[in-house]
Amino acid sequence: MGYVAIKGGGQAIRGAEDVLETLRAGEGTSGTPLTIDAIENQLRLLTSRIVSEGGLYHPKLAALAIKQSQGDTLEAAFALRAYRSTMPRLMETQAQDTSKMRLIRRISSAFKDIPGGQMLGPTYDYALRLMRLDLTDESPEKFRDIARQFLEETPESNLPDTFPKVVEALREEGLLPPAQESVDVPFDITREPLIFPVPRSAALATMARAETGSLLALAYSNMRGYGDVHPTIAELRVGYLPVMLPHPITGELTEAGEVLMTECEVVAMYEDDSNQGKPTFTLGYGACFGHNEVKAIAMAILDRALQKGMKDGASNPSEDPEFVLLHVDGVDSMGFASHYKMPHYVTFQSDMDRLRTTQQKHEDSNNTKMGDAQ
Amino acid sequence: MNQTLDIKHQRTQLPRLLMALPEDEVMTTAASFAEHYRIEDIKLPQAGLGLMQLKDSALQDGYFLGEIPLATAHVVLTDAQQNRTEGAAQIMHSEAGLARAIAIMDAVVSAKLTGHELVTQLLARGLTVLTAQQSSRKKMLARTRVDFSLLSSAEEEDADE
Repeated sequence: MGYVAIKGGGQAIRGAEDVLETLRAGEGTSGTPLTIDAIENQLRLLTSRIVSEGGLYHPKLAALAIKQSQGDTLEAAFALRAYRSTMPRLMETQAQDTSKMRLIRRISSAFKDIPGGQMLGPTYDYALRLMRLDLTDESPEKFRDIARQFLEETPESNLPDTFPKVVEALREEGLLPPAQESVDVPFDITREPLIFPVPRSAALATMARAETGSLLALAYSNMRGYGDVHPTIAELRVGYLPVMLPHPITGELTEAGEVLMTECEVVAMYEDDSNQGKPTFTLGYGACFGHNEVKAIAMAILDRALQKGMKDGASNPSEDPEFVLLHVDGVDSMGFASHYKMPHYVTFQSDMDRLRTTQQKHEDSNNTKMGDAQ
Repeated sequence: MNQTLDIKHQRTQLPRLLMALPEDEVMTTAASFAEHYRIEDIKLPQAGLGLMQLKDSALQDGYFLGEIPLATAHVVLTDAQQNRTEGAAQIMHSEAGLARAIAIMDAVVSAKLTGHELVTQLLARGLTVLTAQQSSRKKMLARTRVDFSLLSSAEEEDADE
C-alpha cells in the first residue's frame, strides 16, 4: 500500500482539539473537573482496564489518561503506552510469587471448601442488575460516610496475610502434572516482534496487556463450541502483590511497592496420554494488572487453547497462536481501524481510475456484443 | 503485616513504610539531614520503568506481566569527621527525588546516624497507616467469607413449596 504526505489542516486540527476540550467542559459554569483520585477510586475497574491494556501499572497516570481521553479506553491505553515508551528501562525484576498476594477476593468454582476458605470480596457476581437510582443524586456527606461506616461495622479479623493456591492442593493429590521449574528466559514483547512460533511466555505477556473485549471474544468462541477447553475455575484471586526487589547495597529482598492484580487458574479436560504417564487435568492460566476478572478468565481459557494448538496444531481459531496473539492488542487494532480515517486521497483516486477504466472496458465490450447481435 | 516494626528488618521494610506517608513530609525530613551531613550521589537518582516478571502458577513458566514505575537512588552521607555511610533505594514510584529521600533515610537508619529517631518515628507512623490498610482489606475478606453448602433434595423440595 502506498501513501503520500499531505499538508494543510493545521488550523482545523488545533480547532478540533479546542472542540474536544469544550465538550469535556460541557457542563458549563456549574461543572467541576474530575479529579484524578476520583477517577482512580470511583472508576476503579476502568482504571484497572487501562493499567493492564496500557501494560504499565501506574493507576494515577491511567486515571489521567482516562480523563484526557474522555473515557475512551483504547485512547487511554494508547496514551499510557506512549508514556511508557518515553521512559528508560531500569531493570527486569526477578520472578514475583503470586502466592504472596494480599487478597481482597478469592473464589473457586471447582471446590466449595478450599484451604483458607472462599471470600467473595468486591464483586457484582450476585448483584441484581437493576439501576441504582439513588446514585443519581448522591449527597457528598453520605458518600464520604460509606467507607467509614463499613470499617466501623466490620469487626477486626485475624485472617492470614496470604492464602495457599488451590492448584497446589490439586497437585499434591496427583490430579495435575508435577510443577517443573522453567529455566527459559521469558520473551519480552516490548522489545522483540512476535515471529511465530513463539514461546508460551510471549503468549502470556501478549494476552496480559491485550484489550479485554478482544480477548473475551476469542475466548467466547472457544466456550461456545469452536474449541473444547470446558474450563472450571480452580481459583480466581484479586489482591495486592508485593513487588520484591533486591536492596541495591545489601541485596536483601525489599518491598518496593505493590501491584493490584487478578489471577486465574482454570482446570480443563484431562489428558490421557499413555506416553506421558498418569493422566492428569490440564491447566490454563490468566493474569493481568488491576481488577479485571473477565480478562483473567478469558486469558486462562485462551492459554489452555493455545497450549493445545501449539502441541497438536490448531483445530479452531482460538487455538491458533498467530490468529489470537496478533489480533488481541487494542492499540494495534484500534490504530489500524483509525488509520482508515486519515486521508487516502491518492490511493482512492487510483482505485477510481482503475474502476473507470474497467467500466469503460465493460461498456465497450457490451457495445461490441450488441453490435455483433445486430 | 506484622503489627510491630522488627528492627532487624527495618531496612527491608523502610521504602514501603515511608511511601505510606505524604511525599512532602518524607522529602522534607530527608532534606533536614543535609544540615548534619554532606550528601552526595553515588549513582544519579533515576526514574524509569521496571519490567515485572511473574511465575505462572499453573505451569511454572516465567513471563512478563507488564511494566512498573521505578525510581532508584544511591547516596553517601559524610559527617564532619569524614565518616561515610551509604544508603540506597529502589521504589515503585515515578519521582527520583522520593527515591533519593528514601535512600538518605536508608543510610541514616542503617548506621543509626544522628537524627535516626526522626526516621524511626516516620517508620512507626507508616506502619500504622499500612496496618490500617491491611486491616481494611481483611475486613473485606471477613465480611464476604462464604460457606456454600449443597442444597439437599429435601431442602430443594421445601424451597419449591
